[in-house]
Amino acid sequence: MTTGALVGIDTSTKSTSVAVMVPGGREVERRDDPGPNDQPRHAEVLQPLIERALEQAAVEWSDVTRICVGVGPGGFTGLRLGISTARALAQGHDVEVVGVSSLEALARGVEMASPKELDLPGHPEVAGPVLAVIDARRGEVYAAIYRHHRTTMEPGVFPPAELAERVAARREWGRSPMLGVGDGAVRFRAELERAGVAVPSDSSRAHRVSALMVCRLGRARDAVDRDALLPDYHREPDAVPPAPPK
Amino acid sequence: MILALETSCDDTCAAVVTREGEIRSNVVSSQGVHARFGGVVPEWASRHHLELVNLVVDQAMEGSSWDELDAIAVTQGPGLVGALLVGVATAKGLAASRRLPLIPVNHLQGHVAANFLGGFEPPFLCLVASGGHTFLARVTDHRGYETLGQTLDDAAGEAFDKGARLLGLGYPGGPALSKLALEGDPTAFKFPIAARVAGLDFSFAGLKTALLYKVRDLGDEAEGLKADLAASYEHAIVEALMLRVERALEGENEPRLAIGGGVAANRLLRERAQSLGVPVHVPPHALCTDNAAMIASAARYLEPTPYPDYLALDAYATKRAA
Ligand SMILES: [Zn+2]
Repeated sequence: MTTGALVGIDTSTKSTSVAVMVPGGREVERRDDPGPNDQPRHAEVLQPLIERALEQAAVEWSDVTRICVGVGPGGFTGLRLGISTARALAQGHDVEVVGVSSLEALARGVEMASPKELDLPGHPEVAGPVLAVIDARRGEVYAAIYRHHRTTMEPGVFPPAELAERVAARREWGRSPMLGVGDGAVRFRAELERAGVAVPSDSSRAHRVSALMVCRLGRARDAVDRDALLPDYHREPDAVPPAPPK
Repeated sequence: MILALETSCDDTCAAVVTREGEIRSNVVSSQGVHARFGGVVPEWASRHHLELVNLVVDQAMEGSSWDELDAIAVTQGPGLVGALLVGVATAKGLAASRRLPLIPVNHLQGHVAANFLGGFEPPFLCLVASGGHTFLARVTDHRGYETLGQTLDDAAGEAFDKGARLLGLGYPGGPALSKLALEGDPTAFKFPIAARVAGLDFSFAGLKTALLYKVRDLGDEAEGLKADLAASYEHAIVEALMLRVERALEGENEPRLAIGGGVAANRLLRERAQSLGVPVHVPPHALCTDNAAMIASAARYLEPTPYPDYLALDAYATKRAA
């Protein structure tokens, strides 16, 4: 557990989220959420957002002891940008780095959303199981299930229909329904709702990965070796060799 | 003193160069993973850059102090965008953390600026030929160049690699092909050099196809004639390059030539260039292949972007005016 200020970064989705957290003090989150038809803007917005968040929190780099970064799973290029920025800042300022699962931060972020934002019939308690779903493109999603701060289904990559099947077959349903959050839950709402998952309205804050939650989770963990901080890719690259000469 | 990063293709590079052009360090970490795929796989390249980039910077900074740096330079493009982004994000993060200015550099200008490190000063004509690019430039000052010609299809190094693959020599096959060519007759086969392509542009697609057909026509005989095929093929690539160089030199008042890019290591090309009767400069091999010292060299003459104006800087994949 670190006692200095923390900087948080998450670039696992199209959004860019940054946070500054002073333990027992100020908490600031700044983010950029491109619209459904917009391209991600991680490269352009990440570092300006970090500077603005620090300014808003009145925190100097000399007060920062740790950078917490979401390591995915998610978009490869976005993750590499977030991680290479975190690593470079850590190298230049000589501070620690910690990686946090973006799916876990997404699931725990439900705690930060108001009941109104969850906007669900019957107001399910947030202590129920949470299915975190990040759009993996190519018609697939990254997903994991968390309950009472424990992982009850390990992160994996699934076609939405298969995920819905798995979820429907699980026996961890309590009185409250399983809550499905994330850009993948929004995109494949129909499949998940058919499996009985409650998905908040598209505009709910519960669907966004919060860098502040990345800080909260990362604060309690052990720092890692800078060069070992890598994305949780979950997929091998398409190692298709260039076409042979014709 | 400038710390430069270069991650436009598959080599992770960092270098420290003084304002006067003294190379303090020039670290290149090559990725061995691409050989089994017979080419650069962009996603693998990006993954390896991320794994290596901070270590390579540490190595480049050995023996230098961060306080000695007055700017950080980085290749902004052209190249593989996912690969470039790792270098750009790292350079921005390092520069911001030290409140240093950042100097974005065009990769091709880097190849041209490699010559300045050896004291070869403008004006000169510069041929850059590698696996990724082939162009001929007129260099009249330190900040840019005029493109006189460029390849319309494959790069010269790509032509070497593809030819080597057709002859079963592996990847990257350029050096293997040249080695085999030493034992062969360069006049055994006549391969096209795209002499009809007007002006100073290059084209290697027809050459590659001609080799493919020749190998097919020869059938079982091809194996025994491999050295002749390699020698004739290499001869054609070198002649195709030199034909444009000669055309361009004819128009110069003070003809001088510099050669860069990985293909500059080619023995035949060097011999041919030396026989032109004009001053020829070829930087050491480590400055011809992709490296960060050449990026630092180019950066010495460019306007630095002060902190924090570069925080929103992005990489670019395709060619932009240098
Ligand atoms: Zn190059």
